[in-house]
Amino acid sequence: MSRSLLLQLARLGDLIQSLPAISSLHSSFPDRPLDLVCAAPLASMAQLFSDIQRVYPWDGERWHSLANMDGGAPEPFVVAAEQYVDDCAFPRYSVAYNLNNHPRSVLASHVLSDQVVGAGDLGPLHPSLPPWVAYLRQVAGDRGANRIHLADAFCGVCGVNPPSVVPTIRATHVDLPNDLACMVDEGSWNGIGIVLGAGDRDRRVPLATWRQFIEVCIDQLPHGLCVLIGGPGEREAALALEDQLPPSYLSRLLNCVGRTSLPQLAHVLNRCQWVVGSDTGPLHLGVACGARAIGWYFSRARVHETGPYGVGHYVWQFRPGVNSKTLGAFDLNGSAPPPGSWPVQETLQLIQGQDESAHPSEWELWKSHRDVWGMFYMNGEQLDSAVAQRKNIWEQLSAPSANRDSTVGFRSHLTGCSS
Amino acid sequence: MNVFQENISILRSQDPALASHLLNTPGGLLSIYPAKSGLPTAVVNNRSIHSAYDPLREAEQWAAHHAKDCQAGEVLVVLGLGLWYHLEALFANVSQDSLIMVVVPNLQELVDGLAVRGLKGWGERVKWVWGDPESMAGQVAQQGQRVRLLTYEPALSLHADVYDAFRLQLRQQLAHRANGTLHVMVVGPIYGGSLPIGGYVVRALESLGHRVSWVDHSLHERGYQQLNTIRDDRLRMTVQQRFSDTLGVISLAHVAEDPPDVVLAMSQAPLSMAVLEQMRRKKVLTAMWFVENFRHLTYWQQMIGGYDFWFVMQQAACLDAFKQAGASHVSYLPLAADPSIHQRVNLTEHEEDELKADVSFLGAGYRNRREILPALLGHEWTFKLWGNEWDNCGTLAKVLQRNGARIDTPTSVKIFNGTTVNINLHSYTKSGFDPDGDSVNPRTFELASCGAFQVIDHRTLLPDLFDDTMMKVVRTPEEFVPAINTSLREPEQRRAMAEASKQQVMTSHTYVHRMETLLSAMGLASPDRIGAILQGERQAESLLARSRESPELIPLLNTFPKKSRVELVDMARAIRLKGPEAQLKREELLILMMDEYRQEKRDFL
Repeated sequence: MSRSLLLQLARLGDLIQSLPAISSLHSSFPDRPLDLVCAAPLASMAQLFSDIQRVYPWDGERWHSLANMDGGAPEPFVVAAEQYVDDCAFPRYSVAYNLNNHPRSVLASHVLSDQVVGAGDLGPLHPSLPPWVAYLRQVAGDRGANRIHLADAFCGVCGVNPPSVVPTIRATHVDLPNDLACMVDEGSWNGIGIVLGAGDRDRRVPLATWRQFIEVCIDQLPHGLCVLIGGPGEREAALALEDQLPPSYLSRLLNCVGRTSLPQLAHVLNRCQWVVGSDTGPLHLGVACGARAIGWYFSRARVHETGPYGVGHYVWQFRPGVNSKTLGAFDLNGSAPPPGSWPVQETLQLIQGQDESAHPSEWELWKSHRDVWGMFYMNGEQLDSAVAQRKNIWEQLSAPSANRDSTVGFRSHLTGCSS
Repeated sequence: MNVFQENISILRSQDPALASHLLNTPGGLLSIYPAKSGLPTAVVNNRSIHSAYDPLREAEQWAAHHAKDCQAGEVLVVLGLGLWYHLEALFANVSQDSLIMVVVPNLQELVDGLAVRGLKGWGERVKWVWGDPESMAGQVAQQGQRVRLLTYEPALSLHADVYDAFRLQLRQQLAHRANGTLHVMVVGPIYGGSLPIGGYVVRALESLGHRVSWVDHSLHERGYQQLNTIRDDRLRMTVQQRFSDTLGVISLAHVAEDPPDVVLAMSQAPLSMAVLEQMRRKKVLTAMWFVENFRHLTYWQQMIGGYDFWFVMQQAACLDAFKQAGASHVSYLPLAADPSIHQRVNLTEHEEDELKADVSFLGAGYRNRREILPALLGHEWTFKLWGNEWDNCGTLAKVLQRNGARIDTPTSVKIFNGTTVNINLHSYTKSGFDPDGDSVNPRTFELASCGAFQVIDHRTLLPDLFDDTMMKVVRTPEEFVPAINTSLREPEQRRAMAEASKQQVMTSHTYVHRMETLLSAMGLASPDRIGAILQGERQAESLLARSRESPELIPLLNTFPKKSRVELVDMARAIRLKGPEAQLKREELLILMMDEYRQEKRDFL
């Protein structure tokens, strides 16, 4: 039986954003098993993807170590690389979907399959990019007003449409440490996952802000349980946060930071009603696990590219000194200053079901929606022209005659609502 | 037939001459007695050569430790004989493709062993190397394979001088046979005496065919010296240290951009321990040629663990001090000359007017020179003093040239050529000659290379480099004047000595010789990296011959000139040149993949 393979070697956020593409591929080719190659530390997480049959970890550290072994003569490197690939016992794939426009991913795709869809489709040395990959690169560079979400663009890269149903992850079969299990699996509370840290320093929310947010949640949500989420690197910060809170609040706080594997974290997030945080992998994991998300997007994070995937999520987009109706016109190129204030009370109000309240001046509220062309965010009730243009972009980029490497066609769509 | 006779019979089948010599050699060097385990063990001068309890177990541990590094096809040269428990264990632990050569420094020692321990089962298959050090080294070098030295220390010390001579000879002979090319990054100082030497080193390495990257920090001298205007000592030193650290990081960036096989730092190169540690993590071998007096400049003590190899211009006490401080490899490497620069030149009439003299001295105004050189004034000859740091030099002021300006290399060569008797007085910060004076300064080699005659103060290491037919050596300051008088009166002898010293440089003391020796020493200590490259194992023809496991690489290897060195990066480059439409084979894809990871630089700085 022919098998297909999807390669996603990037970080947790990108892996989670690949779920719609995986789901659509599975729906489109139900009889063709789909396997996944992902970064080794994420492989246990990817085992939870129901539409993936086999997960192969790509051990970048091991590759790095092999590539830096003594000597420079080519043969031992080839032998070592062959050994690595052989040890993984990859089957031969009839097609490999490559989501990363990176030489390593392109090369891996060609090692594993004769036919590559996505980056490197014309050959490992061919500089030409397929239309959807070129689009993503253009978006990353121009940071314009595109409205096709990254996860939907991944679908485009794979040659499939966005999925009809938003895919989710279930991990309630994964065992938790006893003390966590007692709290998490006890069902009388409203869990609010708080994503404490971020891989990129400039995407971290100050601890004082989190303390303020936790205090208002506990004060104003009678059944609220704040679940702190993060990796081992944030353990100290989580303990510091606990220290700063009055002791009476601690019974309403569950500190999971650095205490869970990714599958265990998914289990915890499966029990949360909400997840709040900046644009990070755990935020998207929370969404995939069924929580509604409220993202605080600042620095280089952009709601239209990487907002939480699905319907009913919110994003507070930081826009210093900007009128709320003109988001598309501004180029968030990463040079924006850090927020001076945070939408703490406003986020609580969203959790309480009040989304009509006044907004803080530097933040815009966007809400997620979905249609046949994937998902999009709207700031208010009226569809803007950029949302409507998604259909044209899809048709243009997905057409068999789509012009490779030409960004002229969709550049107008990227900047179409800028004025 | 007893053990000895049986052993002789085994040796005769392999080396009749050796067997014959052994029959006429008395034993008695080793005192043999039974160990606790019952096996024979040996003692010399109250020092045990093998364990007094269990020599077999000890030998197995030694062999296991060494065998893990040995690779098939290598020549394993064992130094240290004793009762060869370790040889037997080594034989059992290494690939049958490896040739084991055992250096026999003294036949008496072998005779003692032959009387008590059998060779059967393994002794037939090792090669016994005997004779004088030069011929023994020749036997090893002519194998034409990668050489790995394995030392059994307890027995080594019995004949340390023979082994040292053997190693020196082997280094030189392998150096002459080396045909592979390395990428050497030479890191120079910001300024100072080792700066021009760095330039000579670069030229020498290039003339040997190696690829050289010269990290020239003298470009930053002006900025560095500008910091001397900061009056606060602590602040100035802090800023200078930061400046120096930055230059170290710049060196590291060069390494990251174009990784060399070897980083060769000259004395005072601004490489901190942190930078060296980073290079070690990236598996770049580092060496320092410490062309300073180790007693006067002691910063080497803080840097000792930073470099993989140290080369010093002093012997005995210096080598001991470096070893005791923790140097893993330290070797004697005297200074030299560059004959393309230090050569005979004709002076123009104008130059003769300024530079010519009966007697000259060129050098900085150290205390001993200030005290000794005035004795050369007031004679019938003309005397000129050249160099800097001669402020307040008293009566010498009237012969000081160019107001004590620093003399550049081209001018110094002309001065050497224009002087009948060049005075070469080694610097010393006290009176007279340095009683510990051992190393020989660069001027000695440079004068000789120019074919210039010199009168030089005695140095303990001088006789190994030049004999007294090549230069006039004085042992006390008082001998200078008579030596000059004699030399001025004997032009034929003077010319003959100068010519002999020049020939000596050409034969043995150029920077090319030194770099051959330096790389050969590194090759011997690092047989599977530097040694392999020097042996030409990375050349296309050698790779082709050894493409057993990946015959798919052969077509690609055939695209390279046979003698060119081919690394992973070269193959990756060749693959990429195939163009965008190329359909790549699996091996080619994997080469590109490895190259992608190998070029990762983000963890470098």
